[in-house]
Amino acid sequence: MPILHRPFLVATALLYLLITLLIGVWALRRTRTPRDFWVAGRGMGVLMAGIVTMAAAFSGFVFLGGPGLTYRIGVASLFINLPIGFTSALLGWAVAKRLRLLAEVREVYTIPDALLHRFGSRAASGTAAVAILVGTVSYLGTQLLALGRLLESILGLREMAGPYSLAVGVAIGLAVLLFYSVGGGMVAGVYTDLFQGTLMIASACAVFWYAMKAGGGLSGIAASISGSTAGSPRFGRSLLEPFGRAPVLTALGFYFVFGVGVLGQPHMLHKFLMLKDPRRLRWLPLTLGLAQILCLLIWLGVGLVVPALVAQGRLPALTQPDDAAPLFLLHFVPEIVTGLAVAGILSAIMSTADGFMNIGSAALVRDLPKALGRQVGREMLWGRLATVGVALLAACLAFLYNDLIALLGTFAFGTFAAALAPALAVGLNWKRVTAGAATASIATGTLLNLSLEFLAKQTFFPSLPKPPLPPGALPAAVSLAASFTVLLAVTAWQGRKNPPLPSDIAAVMEV
Amino acid sequence: MALTVTRRPRDPERYNARALANRTALLLLSLCAPAALVAFCVDAPALRWVAALAVTTFPVALIALGAARSGRLHGLRGPLLVLWIVLAGSFLALLALPHGGPDVLGIPLALALMLFVLVPVPFVLVCWAYAARFELKDEDLDRLRRFRDGKG
Repeated sequence: MPILHRPFLVATALLYLLITLLIGVWALRRTRTPRDFWVAGRGMGVLMAGIVTMAAAFSGFVFLGGPGLTYRIGVASLFINLPIGFTSALLGWAVAKRLRLLAEVREVYTIPDALLHRFGSRAASGTAAVAILVGTVSYLGTQLLALGRLLESILGLREMAGPYSLAVGVAIGLAVLLFYSVGGGMVAGVYTDLFQGTLMIASACAVFWYAMKAGGGLSGIAASISGSTAGSPRFGRSLLEPFGRAPVLTALGFYFVFGVGVLGQPHMLHKFLMLKDPRRLRWLPLTLGLAQILCLLIWLGVGLVVPALVAQGRLPALTQPDDAAPLFLLHFVPEIVTGLAVAGILSAIMSTADGFMNIGSAALVRDLPKALGRQVGREMLWGRLATVGVALLAACLAFLYNDLIALLGTFAFGTFAAALAPALAVGLNWKRVTAGAATASIATGTLLNLSLEFLAKQTFFPSLPKPPLPPGALPAAVSLAASFTVLLAVTAWQGRKNPPLPSDIAAVMEV
Repeated sequence: MALTVTRRPRDPERYNARALANRTALLLLSLCAPAALVAFCVDAPALRWVAALAVTTFPVALIALGAARSGRLHGLRGPLLVLWIVLAGSFLALLALPHGGPDVLGIPLALALMLFVLVPVPFVLVCWAYAARFELKDEDLDRLRRFRDGKG
């Protein structure tokens, strides 16, 4: 990452961190019960829910990895974003209403809680908790690494801490995150997310405007890219063709995983449990979808303008694709907007991270013990300790991985998608789905995705084969399709009669 | 003797039991899930078309499954059909256009489809349909709350 160590940016970053700390202090006083700690006292309005859910969903991947991915594979990367046209409404119809109503009749604070009550099966909820824990640690690890790199660059830590600069960056970010997440739980989480989400939207819109201005509008950008057929790097028109730089299966896989897999993202679904009034769900797709579209403008703008600027000779060719956004911000945007964007990137990373710290600790303290038939006493105390444990574990893991941010982001998203989407999206809407089918689907999705991703990316054991997939096929897309198939097949195999359901759960599924 | 055909009045219980919308959605999902699995696992150009159809039908089927109440879509059949036509039609066009097609507004037609059709059209359509057809009656909510209070 290029050096962002400039006085104004340092001041912006420090001010941003200070504000999140202050929100944490304020939230600490409002966190009195486990309900406050896990679901923010269930007091969110729908506008807040839209922004907070977007902030939790969009990580540093959108601000850093996304534009880098567009630089590498062209507009094929945008297949990740295309589903936002319908995903917010898909979430509303398929899961949000049922989850929120389930929380109306039972004590549901987490996604495994919801599965436990829907299927009456500790195996289903326990398997989901394991999948969430595995995905959480890798997702959180990625976020912490990105946070460490960003702070290292902004605060000039390389000069001060030498070879330990990344570790110091991660430690600073982690300290702030732990302060407000441990103290204020989800109350701090949602209010910092609201602040962070607003910053993300404002910075994305501002940077998009400057990107279009720098590149001469969309047609100017396209002309520059198409015209770069000589020299190095050569982009050419293929960068603007949907399947020009990536196999068709990759693009379709992106669309499938990010379009349907969104139904299994616990950090997003968890926010629906916090809505104050389920009737306000009517406006959720609009607020969430609009927030997402506005925020993704930064990916589209920076992702397209940087190759155009490189083609025009106004930026050097990138050695690291993930440097696309920072380089553009440093060279083509006024310092005040760069400051806003840096705060936006920090926000994107931290808002995702705090959500994962909460659901990771809930999996440890609440979901796994319940699956084993136990209940943890003093849930808030253990929840706070578990938050620290999950964060430290993720930070350790982060130092063991050294891959592109985009690839790791896809890895964890895919695990959640394959594990949870079928059991939730079909299971909450079809009474015939059995606990056995849900458990089999969750286990298949988790294990298949982890195995395929491990085989595809590992370099530790050279003798292990690559996964038997065609070129460009995404392991996550295969796993997601497989887990849906398993759910439907096992449900069909286990009988034609609806399994008996408690009357309140049946009522939730009928409304 | 004149043959008279009398239509039996529709029995709502029986009609609902058929759960036509749910069944159609589940049938589509049951076709799309294995089709997508095969298309992502087997390297054959023809299967790309199958994959495109599967990944665009999948979300529409899931929406139908989630939106159906008592086996009916309550005015959503039209919007969902339009949504499917926009998604599937656009994807088939993307696959069919060689090298992104001719330029429109200074960008390849395929990119224009991605930016100006595949995101904004579904967004406006489904957000409007969701808000217009969202139904959660006070009496339903009260009934659920009575369950919670142990009076259901």
